[in-house]
Amino acid sequence: MSVTEVRAGDAPAPVIDARGVTSSSVEQPRDLQRTFQLVLATVWLLDAVLQLQPFMFTRGSSGFSGMLNNLAAGNPGWVAHSITWNASNVYHNPVVSNTVFALVQFLIGFGIVWKRSLKAALALSVVWSLGVWWFGEGAGNIFHGAATPFGGGPGAVLIYALLAVLLWPSAGSDTPFVAARSVGMTAAKVIWAVVWGLLAILAVVGSGRSPQALHDLVAAYTGQPGWLAHIDRATASMFLHHGATAAILLAVVCVIVAIGVYLPPQFTKVTLVLGIVTFVFIWVATENFGGILAGGATDPNSGPPFIILALIYWPLTLARKAATSWPSNSTAQSNEALVR
Amino acid sequence: MTPTPAWLYYFFAIAMLAVAAYGLVLLAVSVAIRRSAGWDVDIAHVFMGVSMAGMFVTGWAFGPSAIWELIFTVLLIWFLVQSVQSVITFGIHLTHYLIHAAMSFAMLLMYVFPAGASSGAMSMSMASSSSARIDPGLSLLLAFVFFASAIFTLASPVKGVSHHGRHSRAYAMSGPAGGTVGTPNGPAPASAAGGALGLISAPWLEDASHVVMCVGMGFMLILMI
Repeated sequence: MSVTEVRAGDAPAPVIDARGVTSSSVEQPRDLQRTFQLVLATVWLLDAVLQLQPFMFTRGSSGFSGMLNNLAAGNPGWVAHSITWNASNVYHNPVVSNTVFALVQFLIGFGIVWKRSLKAALALSVVWSLGVWWFGEGAGNIFHGAATPFGGGPGAVLIYALLAVLLWPSAGSDTPFVAARSVGMTAAKVIWAVVWGLLAILAVVGSGRSPQALHDLVAAYTGQPGWLAHIDRATASMFLHHGATAAILLAVVCVIVAIGVYLPPQFTKVTLVLGIVTFVFIWVATENFGGILAGGATDPNSGPPFIILALIYWPLTLARKAATSWPSNSTAQSNEALVR
Repeated sequence: MTPTPAWLYYFFAIAMLAVAAYGLVLLAVSVAIRRSAGWDVDIAHVFMGVSMAGMFVTGWAFGPSAIWELIFTVLLIWFLVQSVQSVITFGIHLTHYLIHAAMSFAMLLMYVFPAGASSGAMSMSMASSSSARIDPGLSLLLAFVFFASAIFTLASPVKGVSHHGRHSRAYAMSGPAGGTVGTPNGPAPASAAGGALGLISAPWLEDASHVVMCVGMGFMLILMI
């Protein structure tokens, strides 16, 4: 294979052999932090498009303002008042407000794509997420003890904000996992332990360990496709008979996952897989994909963000560490060597 | 009937028609400069753009559903065969033909299972003998794949990959950030032609048309849930 020419730049250049076939894609290592930023952008794009569903532009109990208004129930007066105030604004201007909400999410999703706007988009996503958590998720039901992780507690959008912080662009370095690049290894591990410790607590406080409440959580879903409704019936029945046990088991799993990052890498991987499997189960069986399949959701709930969160804590091998630091060192140097 | 707000569906319909028109122009350019790569994607975008516009705005739909089903079946088979050939030639890799096969498959599903579109903006003229609806899980999966394709296409340091893949000469010629690379023997790609032709067939513009199609098709799939 004869190489004709290569151009070095801020990305690996394609290499053409005598057949006119390029091979840069094969040789280019993938920047894992960038990859996860783009996965996060994809989720924001999904959220933006979900915001464009027809019912979101309508008034009434089944419209967007109705959804927001319902979140006030059970919260302390001052929290409920702020939520109903926001819902009232949306009620009076459903088209304008929903269009703005969708545009902001498009802005975040596409903003993450371009490196020049990456930091601004991630910063906007943190601010927007906190606003949505309060006004659009009723503060994750945390104030009235119903923020069980089985139902998406403490609020999926909080994890979006956390992901924006942990995926904040930073120069490549020899970090043991992707999340450590932005905040450092110690801080990243503390954040992980706090998040999963909080999940463990939320799993067993308030109505989180009530079999009837957990049963009602799943039984409330309507309009799901047949195969998902079948899973719902099985899950609801399981919660009704073993709800308290399931809540305690979830808490134990969360504690194990929380301390997993402090264990040797091979054990860390096992606990991460445990965390991912747990949230795949929660996403499918108790969150019903965020209710998207019933045609009445604005986001996929906490399953995907928690799975992304777990993946950015995955221990990296030496080869992968080199890849995550692209384009700061190895690849650019090897490209330049090719040019010479 | 087009649901409210009507302007949203007109906006998407016009965007789809723009992609179709751009595909037609690219086809003409391909003929003019004897470019062999990417024409299949252009043809697919023409059909997809026109039919999607008819889905977003009822009055803009035309043609019997069976014809559209036939067209997208042919496109699906074509892209699947191209995918297999690409893997045979270049080894295991994620060929760009797969996303176009998935898009053709999605179009086919929309015509075979139009019942799920009652809440969306689907054209009444699409009604077929089938009253079954597409599985919402499959709709969501396809929509997510298209959104991911849009995001990763935009973020790719090398432009034109959505049309030409990573192994064609045209892809190589676009180079990262518009850089140029020497070429072996063979006709020059349009992007190297310069002037108006070069601008029209600029790799970033080809990617942009793919991104618009991905977002439009993903939105329609979400509407079909």
